[in-house]
Amino acid sequence: MGAGTMGRMVLLRLALTIPILLGVSVVAFMLMRALPGDFAQAAAGTTSISAEALDTIRRQLGIDRPLWEQYLAWLSGALVGDLGRSFVTKRPVAADLLPRFLVTAQLTAMAGVIAFVLGSATGLASARLRGSADWLVRGLNSLLLAVPNFVVATLIVLLFGLYFPSVGIFNYTPFMQDPLANLTSLLLPALSLGLTVSVTISENTRAAVLEVSSQDYVMVARAKGLPRRAILLHYLVRNALTPVITVAGLQLAALLGGSILIETIFTIPGMGQYLFDSVTTRDYPAIQAIVLVAATVVLLMNVAVDIAYARVDARVSYE
Amino acid sequence: MRDGEGMLEGLGEALSRGIERRTALRLLVMGGTLAASPRLLAQGAAPKRGGRLTIGADADPIGLDPVTTAAFSSYDFTSLLYTGLLRWNAEMKIEPDLAVGFEQPNETTYVFKLRSGVKFHNGKALDAEDVKATFDRIKDPASASPNATLFSNIKSVTVVDPLTVRFELSAPSATFLSFLATNPIGCITPRGVGDLATKPVGTGPFVFESYEPNQQFLLKANPNYYESGQPYLESVAFRFFKDQASLTTALRSKAIDMTWFKDPRVSAQIVRTSPDLVSAPGKTTRTFPVWMNMKDKPLNDVRVRRALSLAANRQACLQTVLGGSGKVAAMIPESHVGGYDGVGDMPYYKTDPAGAKALLAEAGYPNGIDLGEYIVVAANPLDVSCAQILQQQWAEAGIKVAIKPMETAPLLAMWVKGEYPTLLSVALSWSPDPDAIVSRLLSSNAYGKSMGMNDAELDAMIVGARAILDPAKRAAAYQQIQRRICDQAYVLDIYQYPLRWEAWWSYVKGYVPLASNIRSFVRTTWIDK
Repeated sequence: MGAGTMGRMVLLRLALTIPILLGVSVVAFMLMRALPGDFAQAAAGTTSISAEALDTIRRQLGIDRPLWEQYLAWLSGALVGDLGRSFVTKRPVAADLLPRFLVTAQLTAMAGVIAFVLGSATGLASARLRGSADWLVRGLNSLLLAVPNFVVATLIVLLFGLYFPSVGIFNYTPFMQDPLANLTSLLLPALSLGLTVSVTISENTRAAVLEVSSQDYVMVARAKGLPRRAILLHYLVRNALTPVITVAGLQLAALLGGSILIETIFTIPGMGQYLFDSVTTRDYPAIQAIVLVAATVVLLMNVAVDIAYARVDARVSYE
Repeated sequence: MRDGEGMLEGLGEALSRGIERRTALRLLVMGGTLAASPRLLAQGAAPKRGGRLTIGADADPIGLDPVTTAAFSSYDFTSLLYTGLLRWNAEMKIEPDLAVGFEQPNETTYVFKLRSGVKFHNGKALDAEDVKATFDRIKDPASASPNATLFSNIKSVTVVDPLTVRFELSAPSATFLSFLATNPIGCITPRGVGDLATKPVGTGPFVFESYEPNQQFLLKANPNYYESGQPYLESVAFRFFKDQASLTTALRSKAIDMTWFKDPRVSAQIVRTSPDLVSAPGKTTRTFPVWMNMKDKPLNDVRVRRALSLAANRQACLQTVLGGSGKVAAMIPESHVGGYDGVGDMPYYKTDPAGAKALLAEAGYPNGIDLGEYIVVAANPLDVSCAQILQQQWAEAGIKVAIKPMETAPLLAMWVKGEYPTLLSVALSWSPDPDAIVSRLLSSNAYGKSMGMNDAELDAMIVGARAILDPAKRAAAYQQIQRRICDQAYVLDIYQYPLRWEAWWSYVKGYVPLASNIRSFVRTTWIDK
C-alpha cells in the first residue's frame, strides 16, 4: 500500500470523527439536562434556601434558557476552544480539565503498559507451555475477570494502607514535583486498573497464538528445522499480534471508564474523579468537556489502531 | 448535661439577660471559652505550638463565600477562615466572638459593640461598615444567598460608629442570635473584596493558602488572629477521600490525624482497632423523616397517615440500622430548644399493626393499600436499610410500598417541588434553630405547599413560637408543635442520630466536637506527638 493511500485513509477517518463528536456532544448535553435536579438544587441540599434565590442562581448560570439556545452558545464557544466556566470553581473548564487530563492520561498509559505486558506474557506462556501453566493462568484470569477492578483496588488499599503504611498509598505526587515519587504513587492504582484489562489481552493472545500455531506455514517452518526462538518471534508473535492490537486498542475505553472508580478510591486528582464530582454536583460545563475529551481520545485511538493494524498485517489494505 | 439543656440554657442566658437589663451595655465575659470548656482544661498540659493537623474530608467545598454557599461540604473551610459576631461554645451556648457584647434597648433592637484591632486576612481592619456590607450582600437578591430567608426579619442594619452596629428587626425573634452565632450563616466578610468564593478573606484563625480540588486544601495560622496565643497549629491540611474504605484506611494508617464517618457502625469498628483512637460522643442532630405527599389521595386522609405511623416500629429501626447509636425521633432533634428526647410519649408512636389495619379499614381500605414508590437517597446506605425495614413493618399492616433508591440531585428536586408519588425520605441535618425545621410545615412555605400542608392552627403555633423569647416557654411551645405534627402524622420521623461521627488520634489535643459538626475548635487544637 502506498503512503498516499494511507494518508488519505487517515484523513478520511479523522474527518469521520467530527460528526461522531458532534453527536456525542448533543447526547452528553441532553442526557445531563434530561436528568431531574440541577446545580443550584444539588448545591443547596436540604438547606431552606428560597425558591427565588435558586432561580437567581439558575439565571446567573444561564441554565434557565431554552435547551437549544444553551447548546448553541456552548457549541459556538467549544468550536473556538472555549469550553465555558465551571459552576463549582467558577474557573474556565479547560484550565481545570487540562491538569486532570494529563494525570488520567499518565495513569491510563501506565495501566495500558502493565495490561499489555502482563496480558501478552501470560497469554503467550499459557499457549506455549500448556499443562499446569495454562491451567494456572486461565484460572487466575477467570478469577480476575470475575472480580471488578474497584474490588481489587479496595483490597490493595486495605492491604498496603494497614500492613505496609510506609508505601504511602495516598501520597499522589505531581510529575513536575518529583518524577520518581509520581511513578511510584501511580504504580498500585495502574496495577489495579490494568489487571482486569490484562485478562482480555491474555485470553486473546492465547487464542491467537494457538490459532497461528496450527497454521500450515508454522508447520512448514517447524518441518524445515527452524529454531523454536525464530519461529516464535518471526512467525507466531507477529501474526498473533494483529487481533491483540485491536483488542488492546478497544480496551482503552474500558481503562478510561475504570479510571473513574480507581481515581476515587486512590484519591488521584484525575479526569475520572473530576467526572464523578461533576455529575454529582451537576456541573454541566465540566461534564460536557470531559465527555468530549474522552470521546475524542477513544476515537483517535481507534484510528491509531486501524493504522497499526495495516502496518502489522500485510493482508490489510485500505485501498 | 444533655445537649438539649445545654443549648437551651445558652439561649436562655443570652436572651433573658438582654430583656432584663434592656438599656445597660452588657459585656458578656470574654475568656469564657476556657471557663466554659471543662474538657479543654481537663486535658491538662500546656498546649504545644506548631505542627500540622491533617483532616480527612469526604467532600470538596462548593464555594468559600459564606454569603453565597449553601453546601455543607464548604462549612469545614468557612469555619476556620471566617468568624461572626457571635459563636457557639463547646456546650452549644452562644458567646460573643467578633462582638465584645451587645445591648438590647427593646425587643426588636440589638446593638453590637465590635472588638477593636481585628484585622481581615488582607490586613484591613474590621469595622461596623463591614458588618453592614455583609448583611446588605445577604439581602441583595443578586447574591442569591441561602441566608436571606433566615435573616428576612432584619429591617435595617445601621452603623452607629466604627465599632458599633445596630440591627432593627421587624418582630421579636428568638432565632436571630442562633443564626448570627452559626458559621457560615453569621460570618462577617470584608467589604469591597470580590471573588471570596475562590479567594476567601476572613477574620478566622486560619488563612487560605492553597486548594487543589480532590487533593488538598491547605490553611496556615493567622498571625493576627485576635485571641491571644491562638491558633496553636502552624497549618491545617484537608485531604479528600470520596471512598469510605479509603477514608478509614487513611485514618488507621495515620495518613490523616482526624476525620468523621457517616455510619455509626463504621465509626465504632474503627475506634475498636486502636485504644489511641478517640471517638466523639454522638450528639443527635439529624433526623430521618418519611415525607408524605398529602396533596392527593390516599395520604390526604389523616387515618392513612396515622396507620403508617402506628405500623412502624421506630425502636426496631433504630436498633437494626444504627445499632442503637441514636434515639427515636420526632420533628426536632434533641440537641435543639424543645428537642424530643426519644423517650417521651408521642401520639401514634406505639407500634400497633392491628390498630393500623383498623384505621385503614375505616378509611376505606379494608384489604390493605398499595402506596407505590417510596423514594430514598441511594447514596446513603443507612436510609436505604431503614426504608427496607419500614417496608416489612408496613407490610404486616397491609401497606405495600416499593422502595426506589435515587440519586441525590433529582431526589432533592422532587422533594422541593413535591413531585413524588407518595413517600420520600431525605434526612434533615443540624440547623441552628428549631424554627428552621418546623417552618417547612407552614402552609405558606414552599416546602409546606409542596407537601400539601394546610393547618391554620399549626401555622399559628409555629409563627407564635418564633417570638417567644423566654427559653422555657419556647421549649414548651416546640414540644406542643411536635405533638401536633405527630398527632396529625404530617411527617413520620423515625430516628435521630449524629450527622457525623468524629474520630481522631489521641495525640490531637484540645479539640472539641460540636453538635453542629462545625470544626471551629481547631483553633484550640494542638499536636502532641
